[in-house]
Amino acid sequence: MRRTGWRGAEMRRTGWRGLATAVVAAVGVPLVGGCGIQDSDVVEAGGPATVEAFLNRDADMLLFFRSPDGGVSAVIREARPSAGFGDEYIEPGAVTRDPSGPAGPAPTEKVVLALLAGPGEADRAAGLTTALPAVRAKEAVQVEVSSDGGVTARLPLAVQGLDATAVRQLTCTIAYNQAEDGRGVVTLRGQDGAERSGSCGLTPGSPG
Amino acid sequence: MIALPRPRRTRGGGSGRADGPGPAAPSRRRSRVRAFGLRTRLLAAFLLVAAVSAGTTSALTYREARNALLKTAQDTAVSTFRDQVERTGWRLPVEEEGIEEILRDLARTGKPRPWVVFAEYGSVRASSGENPVSSVITPELRRAATAHRYGSFERVVKDGVPYLTIGMPTVFRTGPDSTLPTGLVLYAVMRMTDEQINVDALLVAARNGALPGLAVALVPALLAARSVLRPVRELRRAARSMGSGRLDTRIPVRGSDELADLADTFNESAGQLERSVSELREAEARARRFASDVSHELRTPLAGMLAVTEVLDQDADRLDADTAQAVRLVSAETGKLAVLVEDLMEISRFDARAAELNSDEIDVAEAIRKTLQTRHWADDDRIRTELPAGVRARLDPRRFDVVVANLVGNALRHGGAPVTVHLRTEASSSGTLVLVIEVTDRGPGIPAAALPHIFDRFYKADAARTRSPGSGLGLAITLENVTLHDGTIRAGNLPGGGAVFTVEIPLRAEEASR
Repeated sequence: MRRTGWRGAEMRRTGWRGLATAVVAAVGVPLVGGCGIQDSDVVEAGGPATVEAFLNRDADMLLFFRSPDGGVSAVIREARPSAGFGDEYIEPGAVTRDPSGPAGPAPTEKVVLALLAGPGEADRAAGLTTALPAVRAKEAVQVEVSSDGGVTARLPLAVQGLDATAVRQLTCTIAYNQAEDGRGVVTLRGQDGAERSGSCGLTPGSPG
Repeated sequence: MIALPRPRRTRGGGSGRADGPGPAAPSRRRSRVRAFGLRTRLLAAFLLVAAVSAGTTSALTYREARNALLKTAQDTAVSTFRDQVERTGWRLPVEEEGIEEILRDLARTGKPRPWVVFAEYGSVRASSGENPVSSVITPELRRAATAHRYGSFERVVKDGVPYLTIGMPTVFRTGPDSTLPTGLVLYAVMRMTDEQINVDALLVAARNGALPGLAVALVPALLAARSVLRPVRELRRAARSMGSGRLDTRIPVRGSDELADLADTFNESAGQLERSVSELREAEARARRFASDVSHELRTPLAGMLAVTEVLDQDADRLDADTAQAVRLVSAETGKLAVLVEDLMEISRFDARAAELNSDEIDVAEAIRKTLQTRHWADDDRIRTELPAGVRARLDPRRFDVVVANLVGNALRHGGAPVTVHLRTEASSSGTLVLVIEVTDRGPGIPAAALPHIFDRFYKADAARTRSPGSGLGLAITLENVTLHDGTIRAGNLPGGGAVFTVEIPLRAEEASR
């Protein structure tokens, strides 16, 4: 009698332990689900938003400067006030196309010179800088378009010592001047005779 | 020492001793609510099942509803934000002046509710609110917007307030098919207070839905427990009632479930038990009646024989020696036979429960002395007495006399002198005063094998000595007499040799109950 009593108590104890586990599970299921609004991970929700940047390829030029986060950022600059940099003066509305730069209205040489001149006041206000060294010789930029669409630019500076951002600034500026999508391969040839070639690669979705 | 348990018997008067403190104590213990009883377990099981099902259902429902609610809010917010951002125009580089104007316009048209819009471009930081930089936007979201150029959102709980943060990098068209990142990233931060309220309402609804379920589960649980517990309770009551001697106890059989089968079986077994017990009782009664009848039938001729042997005894001296010896033998044996018949009749009365206790308040020491005198033992130097004066008790004088005489006579016959009769009173373990009479002798004592049977009828401690002066019923009659007084009698051996018989009779003033 006593022994069965003890065994009964033992069984009861294990039974109640199982019951407690079940109750914890029953209570725990909603808790695991979480009450209220929880933190979430970063969830992708589509691509970037396309905004209006008032780019007029016939009147504007795209220059690429270094942004504070280490990448390059495009700025739109009207070609007109930059007339002082180049030899030609482009009348608004009366565009004379440069035979050597069929993709855009502004001749590539002029655009490269504008880039080499560094960020303007508005650009600097937005924190944009350049990785390119200051250049004195203004006329030493020559651009050649080869038959397969590649562009070769002869620059009045030493290409060998340029860092990646500087190369990118030049490449993107030249590529987007040559084509709307900026996909062409650009070869930079410096005074030091070194050559570096590449493409811009700033299309959304690719890191940059 | 051997304690002889006092056989419990229901007397003719039916004083209800069987329902006394003995069975009442366990019943009190059993009737209290048990922590792990059937009812508790059934309730627990039902509640557990209800809790698990209700809890799981409400939890899953709640989670789905909450996720759907949040997803709707988020998707609306993200697509609205993108639409609004796409309607804006920016000059590159983005200039700091005028930017807040655009951001405030964006903030006002937020959906589902206004948000705070932050802009980051180069080193420019601006917002539609007070702080140009949000403390809610996480580095992960910023990385997703700047490095991977995805529109993305993240829920952030800060100080208990949930926020939806959306990061939206912007691109502009360089041609019909090509875009270029502007470097401008817009962030929207929206407090999800309404969603919080809705989600809380969902939670409350889920809980309120689950709790009545639990309450409702109690009803079938209690009903089930009741349907099991009631037959069990009846069964227990019936079993106890049978245990206390009422063999005609039966259980009403309801329904046709297993418990009804059990009740049926119980009733059948109880019927069979009752039949066998009554057969046994009848057989026993027949046997007793037979013994009683035999002794009665023997008494009348014995009385005649005793009268004749007395006459013969008186005339024996005049007969020749051999005849006289034969006559004396016949006379002695006839006397013994008469004693045996008397003892048999006494035992029969006990067995028939016809023995009555005619109690009277007596001086115990005086009663013992009188007993010794009547048996001509008062001046016997083999007998010593320790009889303190003033011990008074309610006893049946005749039966007490039989007890003392049998014990002393037995000690004189089987034990060795001196025989001591010792009287005292002492408190028993239960606190009541008991009268203790000890009869000790200096003989060889009782063999250990004989001790358990010393009070049996016709039991002879010395098997070889089949003939003894006693009837063989003396100690059995003593036991019955002591028992009739609610007392106990023990037989044992003294450490120094010799047997000791101890009689304990409670000194109670319980005339009222008797």
